[in-house]
Amino acid sequence: GDNRSAARTSTELFAYKNINDLPPPREMMIQIDQKNEAVLLPINGSMVPFHVAFIRTVSSQQDTNRNCYIRIIFNVPGTPFSPHDSNSMKFQGSIYLKEASFRSKDPRHISEVVQSIKTLRRQVVARESERAERAT
Amino acid sequence: MTDGHLFNNITLGGRGGTNPGQMKMYSGGVLWKRQGGGKAIEVDKADIMGVTWMKVPRTNQLGVRIKDGLYYKFTGFRDQDLATLTTFFQNTCGITPEEKQLSVSGRNWGEIDLNGNMLTFSVGSKQAFEVSLADVSQTQLQGKNDVILEFHVDDTTGANEKDSLMEISFHIPNSNTQFVGDENHP
Repeated sequence: GDNRSAARTSTELFAYKNINDLPPPREMMIQIDQKNEAVLLPINGSMVPFHVAFIRTVSSQQDTNRNCYIRIIFNVPGTPFSPHDSNSMKFQGSIYLKEASFRSKDPRHISEVVQSIKTLRRQVVARESERAERAT
Repeated sequence: MTDGHLFNNITLGGRGGTNPGQMKMYSGGVLWKRQGGGKAIEVDKADIMGVTWMKVPRTNQLGVRIKDGLYYKFTGFRDQDLATLTTFFQNTCGITPEEKQLSVSGRNWGEIDLNGNMLTFSVGSKQAFEVSLADVSQTQLQGKNDVILEFHVDDTTGANEKDSLMEISFHIPNSNTQFVGDENHP
């Protein structure tokens, strides 16, 4: 979106500026907001946004009981090539959400979510690294 | 002032999604009833320990913390209801609702706060999300810096939601001084 064109580093990336910019509450399920580059996770009855740039990997898996699971791993400091290493100085003492796993009733929805997050993440990371390169 | 205020379309939030219902505030406390019957929550005014008010997307959320550490979240209040609710809680319980802010920045780093049985993850002193420790079945320490919270799962899990949270983990860097030397936290 336009509101992020001023963002220069990953520390300045954010999903939303205002609470009412979030998509209207719908069903309690993982949602992707392409425009704001956000992934919304249902946690304790609320939709919680995370910027896709802070996600490291996403994977899904299905068990024998036809349950479908999705695991989202976020960037944390101290992992190789983590873009947070520049932040971790700035935000020393912070605690990081590292991982969130969900069970889903809908395998098709989960595979869509995994694909969308991967694609969106790739676009955002490419854009941000290009921007960082231009800045140097 | 008449005895009681009635609010329609108030949802009770929590693990397992949300339930729509109706909320009544009266001289004895607060009462929430699920639409179409079933679950009801009645809180005596003497059991109310704290009240919070938070703007959430397109509506407002009232948090009621009770004596035993439980914390109920009711969503669906209009902006103008704040005045009514503030007066109500001040007059009935002698408590002024405390205003909280919601973080929508999308960051995954911040602070953890434990209050009653709620664990709150905040970003820049704004709340990003909370989970109830009553829903946690197991905690594990992984390595030196990671804490895993596993949530209870049974047949009723996900009754009102398509995707249900099973597990979260937090990474606590060595530079964090809040939870040093306390293996049981967060």
